[in-house]
Amino acid sequence: MKNWKVHGIVLALVIAAELIGILQFKVGVGTVVLLPMLYALIMGIFLSPKFLKVVNQKDMTDAGSLITVTLMLLMARYGTLVGPSLPKIISSSPALILQELGNLGTIFVGIPLAVFLGLKRESIGAAHSVAREPNVALIGDVYGLDGAEGRGVMGVYICGTVFGTIFFGLLASFAAAYLPFHPYALAMAAGVGSASMMTAAVGSLVAMYPQMADQIAAFGAASNMLSGLDGLYMSLWMALPMSEWLYRKMYAIKYGKAPVKEVAK
Amino acid sequence: MSVKDTFFVMLIVGVMSLVGNLVGFKNGIVEAIPGMLILILISIAGVALAKFIPVRIPSVAYIVTLACILTFPGVPSAAFINAAMKKVSFLALTTPILAYAGIAIGKDLDTFKKAGWRIVVLSCVVFVGTYIGSAVIAQFILKMLGQI
Repeated sequence: MKNWKVHGIVLALVIAAELIGILQFKVGVGTVVLLPMLYALIMGIFLSPKFLKVVNQKDMTDAGSLITVTLMLLMARYGTLVGPSLPKIISSSPALILQELGNLGTIFVGIPLAVFLGLKRESIGAAHSVAREPNVALIGDVYGLDGAEGRGVMGVYICGTVFGTIFFGLLASFAAAYLPFHPYALAMAAGVGSASMMTAAVGSLVAMYPQMADQIAAFGAASNMLSGLDGLYMSLWMALPMSEWLYRKMYAIKYGKAPVKEVAK
Repeated sequence: MSVKDTFFVMLIVGVMSLVGNLVGFKNGIVEAIPGMLILILISIAGVALAKFIPVRIPSVAYIVTLACILTFPGVPSAAFINAAMKKVSFLALTTPILAYAGIAIGKDLDTFKKAGWRIVVLSCVVFVGTYIGSAVIAQFILKMLGQI
């Protein structure tokens, strides 16, 4: 906590990342957006003993123990984004609200795949949700970030940070071009709970359907705010219990026995 | 971690976010201080609530809910908080988190490399599952309502 070397390094990384700023460019049918948080992450990784050897084992452990706390300020900011638009969200169409349940779709493909790939309790952290900040904060709170579930959620979180924005931008482009979805439905789906992923998906859709630009942006933003609002509760009360249940089933199918009971934290 | 230690770490992260907020988003440090203090107070209140209310609800849930209530239109604090938040960029708050995460990942690089390709494959499936799952429901309901 009072490791000033780590805090100093982080401050330097923040300044460097913000100096580079947001970069945005078009690739094929999609739009690629690069954010300062991505540069901060990559630069942080390169300081490790594997590469530049700037930080040591203790620094890395100290930094890891602080992530849960650093997320809290962001969560508070999140709440202040959702609060003002609550009336608009409440009065908006049922489609917007019900499509949130689609976010649980990842469990039914993700958990079986994770277990099939040989992951153990990492599966639950990794596949219970799209693993954005609220989900990382939640897993940190419920299981701890240094356990298997924490590794799982951090893995997907990092993938999401490194190529999630690009992936969602392209995914929206492909879905609009090749799948029988209406642009409004794709716009609502874009609000997975990450402002950058939503922006990338909406950006792609807007580029393809400029005449619907305003509606697409409104649906995307509203859906994203909704995910910010319900995502945490949905993860806590639905996604995590469902993931736990499906994990036990899948584990029994793959290994022919129930998973060993973990020691409760 | 005790509430006092948590508060201390939040202050440090708050200062870093203020610097990032200045460098990347051109919001002056002094004008962003009220917003940052509000965020720290909401967060610390959430941590305290989670500690002292015996029901097991994570502190992040309290924090988000508290921030929502305080900014709900018509609530006396809403106008003031909204004005203060205009000076605190959402993205500026994400950069320090990812810097800490980047440093911390160093110790997991070996595990990550071992699970690496599996996590990458899984991530792609998770992203597609979330997106298409939502799109199917939205498409269905919009069609039913005759809105598309």
